Amino acid sequence: MAQTLTLLGIESSCDDTAAAVVRLAEGRGTVLASVVAGQTDLHAAFGGVVPELAARAHTEKLDLCVEQALAQAGLGLTDLDGVAVTAGPGLIGGVMAGVMCAKGLAAGAGLPLVGVNHLAGHALTPRLTDGLEFPYLMLLVSGGHCQFLLVRGAEAFTRLGGTIDDAPGEAFDKTAKLLALPQPGGPAVETEAALGDPRRFAFPRPLLDRPGCDMSFSGLKTALLRARDGVMADGALRRQDRADLCAGFQAAVSAVLAEKSRRALADYLALAPADPVFAVAGGVAANRAIRAALEDVAARAGARFVAPPLALCTDNAAMIAWAGIERFRLGHRDGMSLSARPRWPLDETAAPMLGAGKKGAKA
Amino acid sequence: MRPEPLILAFDTSAAHCAAALLSGDRVLETRAEDMAKGQAERLFPMLEEMLARHGAGWRDLAAIGVGIGPGNFTGVRISVAAARGLALSLGVPALGVSRLEALAHGLPRPVVAAEDARRGEVYCQGFGPDTAPALAALDAAPAARAFVGSAAEALAARHGGAALAPAMPLAEAIARIAAARRSTPGPRPAPLYLRAADAAPPADPAPVIVP
Repeated sequence: MAQTLTLLGIESSCDDTAAAVVRLAEGRGTVLASVVAGQTDLHAAFGGVVPELAARAHTEKLDLCVEQALAQAGLGLTDLDGVAVTAGPGLIGGVMAGVMCAKGLAAGAGLPLVGVNHLAGHALTPRLTDGLEFPYLMLLVSGGHCQFLLVRGAEAFTRLGGTIDDAPGEAFDKTAKLLALPQPGGPAVETEAALGDPRRFAFPRPLLDRPGCDMSFSGLKTALLRARDGVMADGALRRQDRADLCAGFQAAVSAVLAEKSRRALADYLALAPADPVFAVAGGVAANRAIRAALEDVAARAGARFVAPPLALCTDNAAMIAWAGIERFRLGHRDGMSLSARPRWPLDETAAPMLGAGKKGAKA
Repeated sequence: MRPEPLILAFDTSAAHCAAALLSGDRVLETRAEDMAKGQAERLFPMLEEMLARHGAGWRDLAAIGVGIGPGNFTGVRISVAAARGLALSLGVPALGVSRLEALAHGLPRPVVAAEDARRGEVYCQGFGPDTAPALAALDAAPAARAFVGSAAEALAARHGGAALAPAMPLAEAIARIAAARRSTPGPRPAPLYLRAADAAPPADPAPVIVP
């Protein structure tokens, strides 16, 4: 008999407080409810997410989001089979609030608790939305992360490469800030880029000259700042110059992601998968120019391109509930001593790329 | 059915994991484990051990009392998030109790509760007459004849008053105050920070956009 499982998911690792209810029935996952409470306004004045402000907001929103998600699903906690929560990686204050709220829910309702890696949530989403089979290639490209993952199983990930510094989404946000565009930067920069000339400014394509799938985006931000200062007069920037800067910046990010995707696809196709799939997730995958470039690379390599709907591509809790279901089916349960982890690489065997200090790899 | 309502209170607003279990007026147990970190891992196992020792389970609780600070921001959030999750799953009220009020609970009035807030500042509140909780420079803290809390000695020395020890352990005071307010729980518990988050707008101004 096919197993039916219904899990609550909780996510609070960055600047979105989210709760969702997902059900697995007859081998397919269905999102019964998904609530996301963003904090964009809270951080707008600071040009980036302020961890302490985020943690404060999560603490007072989590239970409200859970209530809302349960109401939307028309279910009570007693109708659930477990509680899944993001236990890292991410901003620790928020992750900790989520883990503690989840413990309170699980303890009081007598439900099993499943700690989920936020990145696994993103990486397993195409199985919820498109029923993908393993193995598939995943590009996770968001405000906080950028990596290529070979997804071999619900708990088996191989990192083929990733950013060694900033994530592209972060670069988009910083670009927007430098160019007096609103946050989040992605949509604003994309809109401006459509009006600009991508060839006017020659921005660097970092690490393209090196083999492998690692990327770097922090130099791009510096190059953009220099180019901006070069065309500014008395603190004023012409609208067309801004559009050209945006177009050049977006073209550089797009070119790097496309070329590294081509290499990652080659590595993946060497495994001779029956139905080759290149899946993307993360807010940056919503950028139309970047998505078109990635679709083109996939088509040339003969792989199907899969991008979950935007609401399940950016941070959300349905992906956490789903990843929780996948772990739960493998027999995974966490106890009440579950830790919130600021650093938690999906592929624990890969050499650290980020934050490779004494505390270990960040993601 | 238990004859008396069972109240569980906990606090992680400083370098400890503290809890108390109250049955009606009677304290079944109160304990505090000192720890600089690890409260998020220790809190639930500690609470479950305490309930089990008294033959109780989560479902037997009539209310939850939780320390809302002021104190360590992360520590306060650990307990508040846990209490809100528990309240939702158990369908019982969670009541937030300030550390300053808990410190003064059971002491003769007037008294000023004052906790060291570092940077030469204190979190303080006067009781009888009551004043609002505030963050104040050590020099600007209210004068009184009696003080309680980690900054009590410093203020007593400054004002010539007495530094009192709290009348009972912190978690027990939180439990007793929560029990007294159980029938009028008010809004969900929220951290009492008193100090704004360290966040400054970017120093370099954005360019002015011209046609």
